[in-house]
Amino acid sequence: VSTVAELAALDDEQLRNRPFDELVAGLQAVVQRLEAGSAGLEESIDLYKQGLRLHAACDELLQKAELTITELGRRGPAGAER
Amino acid sequence: VTAEQPSLWDERPRAELSEVTAPAARPAPRILRVSDLNRRVRGLLDADALLADVFVEGEISQPSFPPSGHCFFTLKDSNSQVRAVCFREQLERVVVRPVHGMNVICRGRVRAYEPQGTYQLYVDTITPAGAGDLHARYEALRLQLAAAGLFDERRKRPIPKWPRRIGIVTSPVGAVWRDIVNVLRRRYPLCEVVLSPTLVQGPTAAPAIVRALTRLYADGDLDTILLARGGGSLEDLWSFNDERVVRAVADSPVPIIVGVGHESDVTLSDFAADLRAPTPSAAAELATPDATQLAAILGRLRDRASAALAGWASQRRRLVDAERRALMGLAPDIDAARQRTADLVDRAGRALEDRTERRRMVVVALRERLATLSPAATLERGYAVARTPDRRIVRDASAVDAGSEVEVIVAAGVLRTRVESSHAAGGEELLA
Repeated sequence: VSTVAELAALDDEQLRNRPFDELVAGLQAVVQRLEAGSAGLEESIDLYKQGLRLHAACDELLQKAELTITELGRRGPAGAER
Repeated sequence: VTAEQPSLWDERPRAELSEVTAPAARPAPRILRVSDLNRRVRGLLDADALLADVFVEGEISQPSFPPSGHCFFTLKDSNSQVRAVCFREQLERVVVRPVHGMNVICRGRVRAYEPQGTYQLYVDTITPAGAGDLHARYEALRLQLAAAGLFDERRKRPIPKWPRRIGIVTSPVGAVWRDIVNVLRRRYPLCEVVLSPTLVQGPTAAPAIVRALTRLYADGDLDTILLARGGGSLEDLWSFNDERVVRAVADSPVPIIVGVGHESDVTLSDFAADLRAPTPSAAAELATPDATQLAAILGRLRDRASAALAGWASQRRRLVDAERRALMGLAPDIDAARQRTADLVDRAGRALEDRTERRRMVVVALRERLATLSPAATLERGYAVARTPDRRIVRDASAVDAGSEVEVIVAAGVLRTRVESSHAAGGEELLA
């Protein structure tokens, strides 16, 4: 799982291609660091922005997600379920 | 004490006492050898028609399987037990293998074993007690696989909370597959589903299920596997009680959820799974987080971030306030400083004035001293200064020739004179 810093380095497009659980874990880490209250002002604001970004990416993934189905023994994805 | 006078402590009835006193009345006993005894007992048992072909119900205890291929066990109920043996030839034909704790009906004959002086049940068939054949086989296999550790609780792995890829073994034909897809689509459309299709019913179902599972195991990139089948009779669901299937389930490299039949159907595959689901749909639910709850969880996380930032700001504000108060406590007293400054300026001014005055006085004194040194003052005191016309002060009389002009300057005026004569004498003449 990527760290908060690694996620922060990604642009929006790259962020959307990360696994969902990684984004949620990143968001959780951001919130925990904010809540710890030990970050400085600039860092806190950066963290907050990062949290909003991660949240937006998660939200978008959830909104747009479509179940992908592959059937073993056949070539490629089973079209009907795509 | 004689026989006619029994002891006070002898409580035997009188008649018996008299018999003791007359042993010679009975015939001599026939003494048997142990072998004779055992043969006689064996003969009695062999002669009993019931014991030649008997059905005995009981619980199998401590079966042993020595290399000979026979099986020795104890058959018991709550009160009694009897040794039993099932020879290899019979053992290969019995419906269920003897398992400790299993209730069975054994058919066989009872014979004495002369060398040991014991009797035992020679078992020809073992059938499960109290239930039909399938139930018995189920129970026997359950006990056997449990003994092998396949159902141990500590083998159970947690189901991944956020599966990225879920493998599914089921029949792609019918409601079960559709139900599973619907549940996954509704709850967690973020995951990828890999279907490994299989037959789930009929005599070839068990190996087909094993093949389908093995195909998924080869994938290597799955988080969770579901094995599912809809409801049916015990016979319909039988493949999931097949030892090969149960062992394949237990061999899953990733956590596996088994959902077969309805709530009340519990197959042996259920026991071997990491998690048992009451139905196929429930298996899909147990495998995934609920996206609608996810949205709420995400919202709460965002709120926490906002609250944390706001908390950060207010905490820092409190800190700043505290610092400011502390600073104010440490701040210099401007008024006092100003006063001190004024005082200093004052003192400086005074000091300056004092010094100026002193200097002025020094200057006056100097001027006065200067005044006393002025030639004019000397002249006032009555002295006179003589000088030649070329303005050289005359200090030595011999330096002036007779007849030359000398100016004599007194306090008020100048005398132009001509020298009559000169004498070389000192200033002391003035004081003589």
